[in-house]
Amino acid sequence: MNKRTTPWLLLAPALLIAGLYVLFPVAQALSMSLHYVNLFHPRTRPFVGLTNYLNALSDPVFWRSLFNSFIWVFGSVSMQFLLGFGAALLLNRSFAWRGVARALVIVPWALPSVIIGLIWTWMLDFNLGIVNALGTRLGLISSPIAWLSRPDTAMVAVMLAVVWQGFPFFAVTLLAGLQGIPAELYEAASLDGASTAGKFWHVTLPGLASVIATALLLRMIWVANSLDLILVMTGGGPGTATLTLPLHAMLTAWSGGNYGKGSALAVILTLILLGGMIFSLLGKRKQ
Amino acid sequence: MKRRTLLKAAGAAAAIGLTQRLYAFPNKPATVRWWYHFDDPKASPDGLIAEFEKANPTIRIHAQSIPWGGGSDYDTRLYTALIANHGPDTAMVKLRNLPQLVEMEVLLPIDQYLDGWPGKSDISDAIWKLHVAADGKHYYLPLQYITTYLYLRQDWFQKEGLQTPKTLSDFLTAARALTGTDRWGFGLRGDSGGVDFWCTFVIGGGAEFLKGELSTPAALAANQWYIDLYRKNKVCPPSSPTDGFLQTINNMKAGRTAMTIHHIGSANQLTQELGDSITAVPVPCGPAGKAWSTYGDGSNAIFANCVNPEAAWRWISYLSSAPANVAFNKLAGQMTVTTSGAKDWNLHPKRFVDATTQSLASARTLPLVEQTADFVRTVWPQTNQEELLGQAAPDDAMRKFEQIFFP
Amino acid sequence: MKGRMKTVLVTELPMLAILAFALGPWLWMLLSSIRPERDMTRTPLMIWPSTLTLAHHIELLERTSFVENLRDSLIVAAGTVMVGLGLALPAAYAFSRFRFRGRTTMRSLFLIINMFPIVMLILPLFILMRQLRLLDTYFALISAHATFTLPFAIWLLTSYMDGIPTELDQAALIDGATRWQTMRFVILPLVGPGMVAVGIYLFITSWNEYLFALVLAGEQVRTVTVALQMFIGENGINWGLLMAGGTLVGLPATVLFLLLQRRLVGGLTAGAVKG
Repeated sequence: MNKRTTPWLLLAPALLIAGLYVLFPVAQALSMSLHYVNLFHPRTRPFVGLTNYLNALSDPVFWRSLFNSFIWVFGSVSMQFLLGFGAALLLNRSFAWRGVARALVIVPWALPSVIIGLIWTWMLDFNLGIVNALGTRLGLISSPIAWLSRPDTAMVAVMLAVVWQGFPFFAVTLLAGLQGIPAELYEAASLDGASTAGKFWHVTLPGLASVIATALLLRMIWVANSLDLILVMTGGGPGTATLTLPLHAMLTAWSGGNYGKGSALAVILTLILLGGMIFSLLGKRKQ
Repeated sequence: MKRRTLLKAAGAAAAIGLTQRLYAFPNKPATVRWWYHFDDPKASPDGLIAEFEKANPTIRIHAQSIPWGGGSDYDTRLYTALIANHGPDTAMVKLRNLPQLVEMEVLLPIDQYLDGWPGKSDISDAIWKLHVAADGKHYYLPLQYITTYLYLRQDWFQKEGLQTPKTLSDFLTAARALTGTDRWGFGLRGDSGGVDFWCTFVIGGGAEFLKGELSTPAALAANQWYIDLYRKNKVCPPSSPTDGFLQTINNMKAGRTAMTIHHIGSANQLTQELGDSITAVPVPCGPAGKAWSTYGDGSNAIFANCVNPEAAWRWISYLSSAPANVAFNKLAGQMTVTTSGAKDWNLHPKRFVDATTQSLASARTLPLVEQTADFVRTVWPQTNQEELLGQAAPDDAMRKFEQIFFP
Repeated sequence: MKGRMKTVLVTELPMLAILAFALGPWLWMLLSSIRPERDMTRTPLMIWPSTLTLAHHIELLERTSFVENLRDSLIVAAGTVMVGLGLALPAAYAFSRFRFRGRTTMRSLFLIINMFPIVMLILPLFILMRQLRLLDTYFALISAHATFTLPFAIWLLTSYMDGIPTELDQAALIDGATRWQTMRFVILPLVGPGMVAVGIYLFITSWNEYLFALVLAGEQVRTVTVALQMFIGENGINWGLLMAGGTLVGLPATVLFLLLQRRLVGGLTAGAVKG
């Protein structure tokens, strides 16, 4: 094992399994995006070049779903991050019941999307939901709100559910990162007379920078691709108010049977995420 | 509620050939793989399977329960398996997917078995008529059925001195009279299952699934009337655009709505909550005397890849014959498809059974064409929600639907 | 006294607030699972139950296959953690400790795996698994889950490893250790917190995964996520069972993390570099 081959040997197992399970299906999907593929007409699969892509891009629903995805990703991930970071900082301190607190904070994350979708749909129910009941009883809202039926509040509602689900990811990931910052750095900063805020800005944040960047990137990709929650809670509605791009792709393929166009939409989504990642990597390089 | 059914037409010649070979050896040992779904996770077909296997010792039934999950899970599993050539021999399916399965050519026609099947006459002609595919063949064997009817709070109707609504205008009058503080006359469904409501109001009200007849002045007026239930007359809860089965039934149970549309499958849970104050009547008819009640089936179909179709036929015909069919539907909570079994049917209170059988005369399905599945799942809910919210013009929507079904 | 007061105000109260948010819906679910189903449709909403009942939980555990499903989920999730960590650790070490040509490309390549919506891959994957005769096995799910969590696991572990100074590696190598020994005895103990975080991430992601579990398995191997869907029927949702199931399904991961979180302790203290 010399220096040149060692890294590749270390990467080999991961590469192998990824190649098998991902390369083949993705290649198939790419191929399907260039053909007319209808699930219910399996015999005909003519090559159509970029027609699916042009159809996808000229459909106004695509642009609506892109806009929705934008809000969905940036809005919910930023809130998940802020809440999770706050939780991580707190869970890093010492207090008597810290262990229990750490375990309990992951409960939202540990639930399947279908359960989360159902429970939030019920809590937000117009007539029977606890949010409206408590909200009116406590005077927070004047009358019950049809959260999932109004285009303005529907997106807020699904974002609330995904923030609830996702902030523990940041809490745990950042907590582990906080543990990796050597105690000596804090001691040195104290000796230099730094305040709590100063220590935060000059020790904590730089120490966490890599983990924060990674966690944000990964979570944004995951949220961008997720459709479980929205599917259960609103199905993309009302109208197209909560229709995000992956949901649009799925419905095109599975509901409409237009697998070619659905694959094209999925490829477009992948390219957008890829572009975003390259953009952020270039930004990092400049530093 | 009613979901797409998957039907596959197999190469008829090959299928008949295979069947004839198997007829020559009726006692060849066989395993039949059958997919099913029950609402009650504790219900099991084991009793029926044991009885069947005792009478047919050379056949083994391998039953697999597939999660329904609202319908799409069952369909996803079935589709994926059929496309990858790894599906069951026979499965519970629904009419809504018949066109697609026929297109995919995965179904075996069962006409040859039906001729000469004694149980055929125990299923009413009205039901047989609804189960014929566009190419004139039979692929589905009816197993259970429901037709939609109108639930109403007869205690409130009596209190307000209202009569049972027979026409759509009676219906609107009643709905308006029963709407008050924290109470609405009608629970409207805006999710994909709501298309059944739309058909009752709009097709019953004057439109029709024929070329040109989704955009006539009468059709446009009917759709506008339907949208106005929510927007102008406000007889429906504000959450209607995205309300689904759970919301409409819960609103009935909670005493928030006076009427809604569903079928006998929910009769028992409503009676448990509301007792005698809940009843059902056939859906009101439009100005031309036309009514639309949605026919929802549960059927069994045999797939083209089935190794032993004869054995598969024995199993599904057993399930659709009187004593077994009654037992099966007691497990499933749906209505038996046999006329003899319906006579002493006691799973649901009589008034709901009566409403169901009375509605059979006006029971219809959406056109059994390819576009229907996507229409039901995506196009109609999205467009309809936009109309209800005032984001889309109802007339434009109707023209859009016309374009979809009659391009 | 002043210090205690400060802790309560600055740490414990905000923590309670966050926990209230995190646990509120779950507690509401728990409450719903121990009360009669008809409470659900009472208006105005009754927050406190009229009567308590364990009927739903008993029915869930005794008369459905839920316990077996929990077992299946546990096997798949544990397998995913082991396979995932086993694949990701060496890869992360490679990315963190070596500067080789194609490093950035490879790193990005892994991330691209997660950029494609899984729902569009399910059909080809089903066909592939079928050809490999892997359908409805634990292995199918474990390998599928491990593959699609690999990018996150690798990237996260690389990040954590980047925080460990390379001087420690150098010191070990100078002392005559091989790369393998360095990784095993120097890096691994220090990346403990990172492994806990990644391990929990792998466990939870596999535990909650639904689409593969539904399509690639389902009969012999049926996880809880699939089993819960059985309670959503045509004519009704079996709400009592669903709430009971929902309450229980989040517990294994929580208990696991409760046991592991003690390892979330700073790994780098003065004197860690042994001579």
